[in-house]
Amino acid sequence: MSEFSIVGKRAERKDVRSKVLGKALYAGDLYRPGMLHGKALRSEYPHARIISIDTSRAEKLPGVHAVMTHKDIPGINRFGLAILDQPVLADDKVRRMGDAVALVAAETVEIAEEAIRLIKVEYEELPAYFTVEAALAEDALPIHEGGNLLQHTKLRKGNVEEGFAQSDIIVENVYQTQRVDHAYIEPETSVAELDHEGNLTVWSSTQYPFRDRRQIAPVVNMPSNKVRVIQMTTGGAFGGKDDITTEIQAALLAVKTGRPVKVVWSRQESMVCSTKRHPMKIFIKTGATRDGMLMAMEGKIYSDKGAYCSIGHFITKKAGLHLSGPYHIPHIKVDTYAVYTNNTICGPYRGFGILQASFAHESQMDLLAEKLGMSPLEIRLKNALKVGLSNATGQVFEHSVGFYETLKRAEEYMKTHPLEGGVE
Amino acid sequence: MKKLKLIVNDVVYELETRPERRLLDVLRDELHLTGTKEGCSEGECGACTVLIDGKPADSCLVLVGQVDGCHITTIEGLSDGNELHTLQQAFIKAGAVQCGYCTPGMILSAKAVLDQNPNPSEEEIRKGLSGNLCRCTGYQKIVDAVRLAAGELSAKTGKGGGN
Ligand code: FES
Ligand code: FES
Repeated sequence: MSEFSIVGKRAERKDVRSKVLGKALYAGDLYRPGMLHGKALRSEYPHARIISIDTSRAEKLPGVHAVMTHKDIPGINRFGLAILDQPVLADDKVRRMGDAVALVAAETVEIAEEAIRLIKVEYEELPAYFTVEAALAEDALPIHEGGNLLQHTKLRKGNVEEGFAQSDIIVENVYQTQRVDHAYIEPETSVAELDHEGNLTVWSSTQYPFRDRRQIAPVVNMPSNKVRVIQMTTGGAFGGKDDITTEIQAALLAVKTGRPVKVVWSRQESMVCSTKRHPMKIFIKTGATRDGMLMAMEGKIYSDKGAYCSIGHFITKKAGLHLSGPYHIPHIKVDTYAVYTNNTICGPYRGFGILQASFAHESQMDLLAEKLGMSPLEIRLKNALKVGLSNATGQVFEHSVGFYETLKRAEEYMKTHPLEGGVE
Repeated sequence: MKKLKLIVNDVVYELETRPERRLLDVLRDELHLTGTKEGCSEGECGACTVLIDGKPADSCLVLVGQVDGCHITTIEGLSDGNELHTLQQAFIKAGAVQCGYCTPGMILSAKAVLDQNPNPSEEEIRKGLSGNLCRCTGYQKIVDAVRLAAGELSAKTGKGGGN
């Protein structure tokens, strides 16, 4: 193998010295002169109409500089990575526990929290849907105007009926995965400040400063070139800081008060309000010949989006595109459904839907191997995608596919490094 | 408001503050020692770990009034100017730092382990770090870093053999 200058060598991270010294600056480490602290009032119901919001007592609390509801937003009251479906502050209704309903900026976090407790919101509860089945039921109320089915995608390759007819064995199962939080150790944090020329700066724990800017600017009603987002050293994200978290809340309060504002989500807010990995219900049927060659796969994926899209429609579609795994299957039919529910919002989380698909296709491979009296490795080697074979979308790999070689290397390694407790 | 004395990284601070403030907030907001991090606010993650009279503690669970007159060590107190502490060097060498948010707390918990036992077993290291969560690096490299530091520290002092 040729020598690389970096790959395969020990390299020191550029930022590591400042990190071991405790000098690296994360968003929460910023203290600006005159800085206020922002907090959000969160919805207590998963699905409810808002009848009224009374902020009068909160406004009178000494130390409070601003109380904001949807009426006080200078620009549009919507954001979202792909679709503008998420209100910054709930207007007509709340769609999940934890939707922000009002914002407060105050001298201290304690005063802001006290003010939040003084805001009275009158709700009219609506039926809430916590499973994709309930949300898709005919009589379910629409969580969003367009209905609860956000997206249906279809993948077709070959002819599955033919493929199953050529199969000697068919394994059919339903797999269900759960919602998972990224649980980065640094909670979501932003500090926002207007300078003397009216430029807005948002320092944030984020993954995408430019996508943040694109979503902040229309809400504060400022042109993009007046808004600057600076990513601070970020204490873990894993997809969870892809979406807007604290950025718009800090920006709105800074614009409203003319003072720097810091917003830090509590761990509880982080758990309740940030995006999660999508729970998916995966129906999958796989057919193979007696000697273990995969012939057909048919699948249906229902993904629980929670109340807002984020980029979950891509993630759901991607789970479908990868449901055949790293294997060559001549006949494939997959349908995916991204469904709005009143659960916590789901979005990017390492793997973008592929992890959920893997759970299903790898379990299927193990079961097929068992039924065919074949080793789990053998069935994978037999069906591994290689140069010249096509994947689920029909793309033929022309240059390299490392899967087969990786399996062989893993086989060698495992011969000399048996797993503790052994493998079946 | 109450007058309190804290000796932080060998510097004496005479403070007038509310004794019910969390030590974490006093360190960060009043003394501007922001190397100590907040992750969970309830004693689960260890990001806020400091040493109080040499013992590790979650500073989010300590009220500043409880540590009047105590010696506190934070991450800022470990290096000698630009000269890194052996543990800090070992974390770099072993690749035990990714996002770095857990790192100050990890290093202080590790220091407490080594101060008590210069030649700990892997199990003792893991036990000593069990109150510190890391979501990026995983624990193996962090344990390796502590072992590396133990070896280097004992080579320096001529005590113990490291492992
Ligand atoms: S912030 Fe103190 S233990 Fe997590
Ligand atoms: S390095 Fe990110 S939490 Fe440990």
